[in-house]
Amino acid sequence: MTFVARTWNRLTIPGRVLLGLFLLGGLLTGALIALIIFSEPILELLGANLPLVRFVGAATVVLLMTIPTAFLIIYMEMKIIALMNLRLGPDRVGPFGSLLSVVHGLKVLMKEDFTPTGADAPVFTLAPVVTYLASVMTLLVIPFAPGLFGQDMNIALLYFFAISGLGVVGLLMGGWSSFNKYSLLGGLRSAAQVISYEVPLVLSVVGLLILAGTMSLNQLVLNQAGWFTDWYIWQQPLGFLIFFIAATAEANRTPFDLTEADSEIVAGFATEYSGMRFGFFFFAEYVNVFIVSALTVTLFFGGWNAPFPFPEIALAFDPGSLGIALLILVAVVPVVGTLILAMPFYLLRSSMPFWQALVIGFVLFNIVAVAAVLGWAFVSLEWVAGLLWFMLKTYTFVFIFVWMRGTLPRVRIDQLMGFAWKWLLPASLLNLFVTAGAVVLVRELGA
Amino acid sequence: MSFIPGLGLAKGMALTLRRFFEPKATIRYPEVRADVSPKFRGRLQLLYDEWGALKCETCFQCAQACPIECIDMGGIDTKGRYHVHWGPPEQYAERREESALRRSGRTVPDRAYEHFEQLDMSPVEAILDDHDYDPKRMLSILEAVQAVYGYLPVAALKQISFRSGAYYALIYGTASYYGHLRLDPPRDAGQARVAASARPDESVYLASLGAALDGRGAAAGAVH
Repeated sequence: MTFVARTWNRLTIPGRVLLGLFLLGGLLTGALIALIIFSEPILELLGANLPLVRFVGAATVVLLMTIPTAFLIIYMEMKIIALMNLRLGPDRVGPFGSLLSVVHGLKVLMKEDFTPTGADAPVFTLAPVVTYLASVMTLLVIPFAPGLFGQDMNIALLYFFAISGLGVVGLLMGGWSSFNKYSLLGGLRSAAQVISYEVPLVLSVVGLLILAGTMSLNQLVLNQAGWFTDWYIWQQPLGFLIFFIAATAEANRTPFDLTEADSEIVAGFATEYSGMRFGFFFFAEYVNVFIVSALTVTLFFGGWNAPFPFPEIALAFDPGSLGIALLILVAVVPVVGTLILAMPFYLLRSSMPFWQALVIGFVLFNIVAVAAVLGWAFVSLEWVAGLLWFMLKTYTFVFIFVWMRGTLPRVRIDQLMGFAWKWLLPASLLNLFVTAGAVVLVRELGA
Repeated sequence: MSFIPGLGLAKGMALTLRRFFEPKATIRYPEVRADVSPKFRGRLQLLYDEWGALKCETCFQCAQACPIECIDMGGIDTKGRYHVHWGPPEQYAERREESALRRSGRTVPDRAYEHFEQLDMSPVEAILDDHDYDPKRMLSILEAVQAVYGYLPVAALKQISFRSGAYYALIYGTASYYGHLRLDPPRDAGQARVAASARPDESVYLASLGAALDGRGAAAGAVH
């Protein structure tokens, strides 16, 4: 060991880097060779356990997807509320301050991860994980686009509500294990809120289920294909209203954000949390916003369907038919495009040096190219179009959530509970009974 | 009164959405400076020169220019002779207490101030009455007052200001501009006689003004 340490210390910095790269390359090459040699048994093993592989793959993708999603929504929240307050909001890090949420994430990572004396350490540590996973796992059943979903279950909606209901356990765990009476009270309060709103949330969807006759979210989306008049919002307006309000409370958003009222001194169940554990609660909140928006879109706004039957556009030519000319085109087009887009700036503004015009032309060319590629993908790939529509609708709802947070004041706890039990629950029952009666009536009259 | 549930929510949401598209109030400070009037001089502060003397010469120009007449100042005039004061008459004694002034960040009364002895104002009243209380005839008023008292007491000037409505600083300016008007009592009879002599011709002043303005007074003198 001393020999290795001594040799390492005698190396120059470039030497260390080179040695590290050399070792890394060796490892990767070895892994590649091993993969090639054992590819057959590995593929066989994976193929034999395809559901498991699919689950692990989907869970990984979904877990990785939540991080940029949370960053984006945090940024949207900061920026949109700022704009509504006549401020500019983040504008220092990255273009228009868009990297500020990444900086927030790094800050949270670098903070001390503190466990209070007397806290129940394992439970205290697991609580954020439970909350976060409860959010993330629900994404598995959401159909993002045709063929782009973790699992098309026939009980997807039930699974969704069951798993998202697990988030309460995380909140209670956090409140209970913090060894702090405020945390405990905050945890109980959040649990009371979330459980109370779970009832109208689920009941408001039952009417829709009676109409659709399926719990599979994918099938629900397929049912809404066609014009936007086919969306379930038109058949279940009251259901949508109740669902939206209850979902706001479920996601702990303003005006029902008593759970983690950031403007108050004691932060509910999260009082004792710091560092990345608090970050997980924080992330879970924003992932919840995305999930709730996505579910609203899926249930009531046609999911990945376009609001009108999108005309089929057949591309005039196939790029693959060009052969070797395609390669030349790929090499030539960026240069020519950049020059063409730079020319007007250089020629029309005598004060602009050529390199600045070139930079502008390059940026413009990138925008044009990305737009062209996206347009091509939108036209020729069904799932890209579906994903774009789905994301457009979902982020519209995210915007509405942020907009509400920028507008509405927080309700009191008694108003919160009273509203859930005295108004939302009867309204959702009414919606359910009226829908059921209408369905029976239509069936009787039709028969 | 019609009450629609959710109307208030909708109004609030509409308001924030309008704000969303409005121009923003933020100024990105290090890159963009606030648009300040070139006349803006920041917070008012009395400055000291390099010898530690107050730079303020009690000219009252700042007080005259102040559009809301918020400047209330007093001090010794340039030659260190008189206590001069600018500002509204005092209404509440407690406002003038030193601690109150200090607390409100205003100038503190001058400790060197001594009350002037009471002056018989009846001649001033008579002169003003003769001149119709007209500030445009200020020079003649001042000459008449000097003829009575032998010089121009500050109390008389203040009385003139009070009765005629002219700014004290303008009266003081007139009185200190003309060489034949004196602001302090004559030392002896000879000086008193000089002071009492008639007003010099206007062209003398114009000539000296022209000399100060480097030759331009020649044309002005020619006109007269």
